[in-house]
Amino acid sequence: MAGVYVYSDNTELCGELIALARTSEQEVCAVTMSDQQGSELAKYGPDTIFVLKGQNHAAESYSGAIAKLLTDQDASLFLAGATVRGRDIAAQVAAKMKAGLISEAGSVNFCNGKISAARYMYGGLTEQVEEGKGLTVITVPSGRYAAVNNDSVKSVVVSMTVDTDPRIKITGSSPIVKEGADLSKAGRIVCVGMGFDKKEDLVIAHKLAEALGAEVGCTRCIAEDRGWMPAETYIGISGAVVKPDLYIALGVSGQIQHTFGVRDSKIIVGVNNNEKATIFGVSDYGIVGDLYEIAPLLADAIKNI
Amino acid sequence: MSGEDKFDVIIIGAGPAGTACAYTLAKEGKNVLVIERGTAAGSKNVTGGRFYTYALDLVEPGLWEDAALERKVTHEQIMMMAGEQSITIDYSNPAFNKSGEMPQSFTILRAVFDEWFASKAEEQGAVIACGIKVDGLIEEAGRITGVKAGGDEMFADLVIAADGVNSMIARQAGLVPELSDKTIGVGVKEIIELPAKTIEERFHLKSGEGASLLMLGCTEGIHGGGFLYTNNESISLGCVFTPSEAASHGRQVHDIFQDLKMHPSIYPLIEGGKTVEYGAHLVREEGYRGIPKKLYRDGLMVIGEAAGFVLNIGYTIRGIDLAIVSGVAAARAVISGKNPGPAYFEELNNIKLLPSMKAVDGYFDLLEIHRLYETYPKVASGVFNKMYSISGETPVSIKKGIWGVLKDNKVSLWQLVKDGIRGYRSI
Amino acid sequence: MSNVIVCFKWVKAEDDLRIDPATLAVDLSKAKGKISDYDRNAIEAARIASESAGSETIALTFGSNDAKTALKDALSRGPKQAFWVNDVSAENADGFVTANMLAAAIRKIGSYSLIVCGEGAADTYAHQVGPRIGALLDIPVISFVKEMRIEGSRLYAVRKLEDSLEQVEADLPAVVTVLPEINPAPIPGLKAVLEGGKKPVTEFKIQDLDLEDGDTSRKTDVVSFKGCSMSRKKILINEGDAKEKVTALVAALKKEGVL
Ligand SMILES: Cc1cc2nc3c(=O)[nH]c(=O)nc-3n(C[C@H](O)[C@H](O)[C@H](O)COP(=O)(O)OP(=O)(O)OC[C@H]3O[C@@H](n4cnc5c(N)ncnc54)[C@H](O)[C@@H]3O)c2cc1C
Ligand SMILES: Cc1cc2nc3c(=O)[nH]c(=O)nc-3n(C[C@H](O)[C@H](O)[C@H](O)COP(=O)(O)OP(=O)(O)OC[C@H]3O[C@@H](n4cnc5c(N)ncnc54)[C@H](O)[C@@H]3O)c2cc1C
Repeated sequence: MAGVYVYSDNTELCGELIALARTSEQEVCAVTMSDQQGSELAKYGPDTIFVLKGQNHAAESYSGAIAKLLTDQDASLFLAGATVRGRDIAAQVAAKMKAGLISEAGSVNFCNGKISAARYMYGGLTEQVEEGKGLTVITVPSGRYAAVNNDSVKSVVVSMTVDTDPRIKITGSSPIVKEGADLSKAGRIVCVGMGFDKKEDLVIAHKLAEALGAEVGCTRCIAEDRGWMPAETYIGISGAVVKPDLYIALGVSGQIQHTFGVRDSKIIVGVNNNEKATIFGVSDYGIVGDLYEIAPLLADAIKNI
Repeated sequence: MSGEDKFDVIIIGAGPAGTACAYTLAKEGKNVLVIERGTAAGSKNVTGGRFYTYALDLVEPGLWEDAALERKVTHEQIMMMAGEQSITIDYSNPAFNKSGEMPQSFTILRAVFDEWFASKAEEQGAVIACGIKVDGLIEEAGRITGVKAGGDEMFADLVIAADGVNSMIARQAGLVPELSDKTIGVGVKEIIELPAKTIEERFHLKSGEGASLLMLGCTEGIHGGGFLYTNNESISLGCVFTPSEAASHGRQVHDIFQDLKMHPSIYPLIEGGKTVEYGAHLVREEGYRGIPKKLYRDGLMVIGEAAGFVLNIGYTIRGIDLAIVSGVAAARAVISGKNPGPAYFEELNNIKLLPSMKAVDGYFDLLEIHRLYETYPKVASGVFNKMYSISGETPVSIKKGIWGVLKDNKVSLWQLVKDGIRGYRSI
Repeated sequence: MSNVIVCFKWVKAEDDLRIDPATLAVDLSKAKGKISDYDRNAIEAARIASESAGSETIALTFGSNDAKTALKDALSRGPKQAFWVNDVSAENADGFVTANMLAAAIRKIGSYSLIVCGEGAADTYAHQVGPRIGALLDIPVISFVKEMRIEGSRLYAVRKLEDSLEQVEADLPAVVTVLPEINPAPIPGLKAVLEGGKKPVTEFKIQDLDLEDGDTSRKTDVVSFKGCSMSRKKILINEGDAKEKVTALVAALKKEGVL
């Protein structure tokens, strides 16, 4: 059994997976459904690029074809990018092949011919390391590995016509208009939590952010329950994952689902009027106090630096 | 109203009172619904954690043997604190825990105990609906006929309010007046986890044995006291005091508790432990005289702490056992088929609840003496200080020493005599 | 249209996990169970779908004895009856085993036109059981759905991808995995809770299901399971009034080089 097969609808992520697959010291094959992505992938230097050509343009309808390819080629591992499409395809491929699937692996290791991967559970409170038996499927989120341009390998391109599942039909697509800031690249973030009483009060957070040159993010409750801020600006396991130098949480209780999204921040500051709040256990600096008092003082103090 | 929406009895609250009542009624074949706002029985309840076992035996003989209890209390301790000093009296009496007999008292964790107790009532056939808050009563022509919860209405021949200390239901029905802040204490408590072995070493206990420690003088002159109970693998530590007094002393609830935790006689007992739960709750402080005149009106009965059945008598708080007893009394009244109001009072007397609360009624006066919370613990510590201070100097005589301490604490002979008489009368 | 089957998982509440800070050992023994948060939305989505199509909602779970409480809870949220694959192996099953169990139970239940799953489970968040079930039953899968509508025997759904919304359709029977935002998950009222306690539950044992050898054992081995440490400085600035605290914070942040 040999060969690591990688797929992602996100080309950059596919490059990351190819770099990861290289560490296995096995043959690395990329799978794509379009000639265009196929040619873009060449720069990452997989040994082979399989371009699957079917009738249906829904990527998910290729799951059966991918499973067949992996079986025919006697693959040892299928790595898929943990995007929406990638997760769906990975699970269907795994089911069809009666294989194990380690989803959303933060790290993947090849050691003595074995494959193991670490993943978070319980909203990020715990980490589990799993080891594959036989053919294994793993999904990996973007940003875990660096894509490497590799001209030394001249990829062989294999185009093949495959059967796709005709039963699913994509009838349209519309881009999501992102309203808030792109938090994933922000260097400083002020986060709004349910400690804010009303929407008008968010100006306090914006003033602090202005003084700091920071972006404003929020917890899920603020976006989903209150609807005070756009959904793109909530941070956490189901929202944005951020890694600013400075993250200031105002009136945020600090539940794991939220703090999961800020764990890679350099410095975390919590302001909460309940000294038992969980946020203080995951902060570098905490002030027990009323955000309505602390945040304006902090904005002033920063302006005066 | 359809048959689906009607029960013999609806009980509001799955605390010890409500559950005991439901158990007893369901066992007699009554169609009972208990409505509890917590996601499970006991999920939100705060208590000290000491329980007197006899009450479970009233519900069902032998039931205690299966109960979710922690340690049987073998060591009764009282600590008087003055600043950093303290005096502890440790009393133990094997008669309370004769082998082969039901131990007198256990420590309990409410989240565990209440859930166990509710499951027992369910086994008897009671229906327990958790996660639902009763918003109010349904009244028709002066009679309570059911309850409202969310958008739903549910009807019953009798509604029983077992909703605890600040019973919204009993107030709404006009049976219980608004609580005044003079007669209400606030309790804060933490559950601190420690290995069983550590607890047994620190309190000199054998496996399964427990200590109950009450503290006077830890509230800095504010009407109140502290408690510490040993559970299997945790310690319940808390204090109860009158909030209005704390405010007038310029003290925050939390600070007082923090000081108690850090006290040099307490800290070593909890050192290294992990706080896994923190809660605050009200508790009634008036005892017998706090029981409302009427606990029944057409279609509604009040039981448990909602009905004032709690005793806070300085050296012990008892509410759980009394709640259970009152629940059993109410159930027996219903089962008797007599006029429920008078039958309930009769049962409360038969079951000795009212008489025993009356017997200790005077404590309320004793507890009103402020010197109890500050001066006397200081005096006692002062005396011990004189007795145990050996510096090589010629000591003053003990008698002289005591007078000196009293004078330092500005206690006159007259006050001492007066408090003594008041104390004697109240017991 | 025939039944809508909704799969849900009984998970340990993450708030009750105990992690030893020194060894990072995880103690799950004190954790209470709950219906996975995402599945609560899924149950409601199934209820709405079957209501609009005039069919019945059936709840299905694979769980150990612990899951008994879950059935009442699930049934108080609308489904007319529940099926429960009761086996202890549920406590450490992976997506492979879980999907095998659920797919086998669904075959046994027989008539269905839509299967609804949550996007992922609150404990593992592995996003695999729904699509796996679709593959095993060989019916179309539409995952990460934020809106759906049934017309006759056709399902119209809107999926949420990273940067776009996608309109997808498929013939029934099909599997959907739904995002929590598809609809709120209302807390059941008193009557619903009482009704939930009375609805029928059918229990399956593994032997009752048509499974092949190997279908019931994990495909991955768990090598380790431990708490994650969020090692932070945890400095509480307590001294002085609000102004002094803020001054101290600013000084500290300057020193950290983040201002
Ligand atoms: C499966 C699942 C996934 C989830 N995913 C996410 C996610 O991705 N992102 C996310 O954010 N959440 C997520 N959540 C929700 C998460 O569990 C929490 O409920 C949420 O993060 C809490 O938001 P909050 O801190 O704003 O609100 P709360 O928990 O209500 O906290 C408000 C805090 O403000 C404090 N406060 C109040 N008034 C003041 C004041 N005047 N001054 C200072 N402090 C004050 C309070 O003490 C409290 O600590 C998820 C939950 C589940 C179950
Ligand atoms: C700090 C502290 C320490 C104590 N220590 C001890 C001790 O060591 N020993 C002892 O015996 N007693 C102690 N007590 C007293 C004891 O806890 C109470 O007296 C006892 O719990 C009363 O029982 P109950 O069933 O009447 O009410 P509760 O135990 O308060 O139960 C009432 C129930 O009703 C529910 N409820 C309330 N309103 C509604 C509604 N609208 N709809 C639905 N459900 C509702 C509540 O959620 C609760 O479960 C202590 C009390 C405190 C505060």
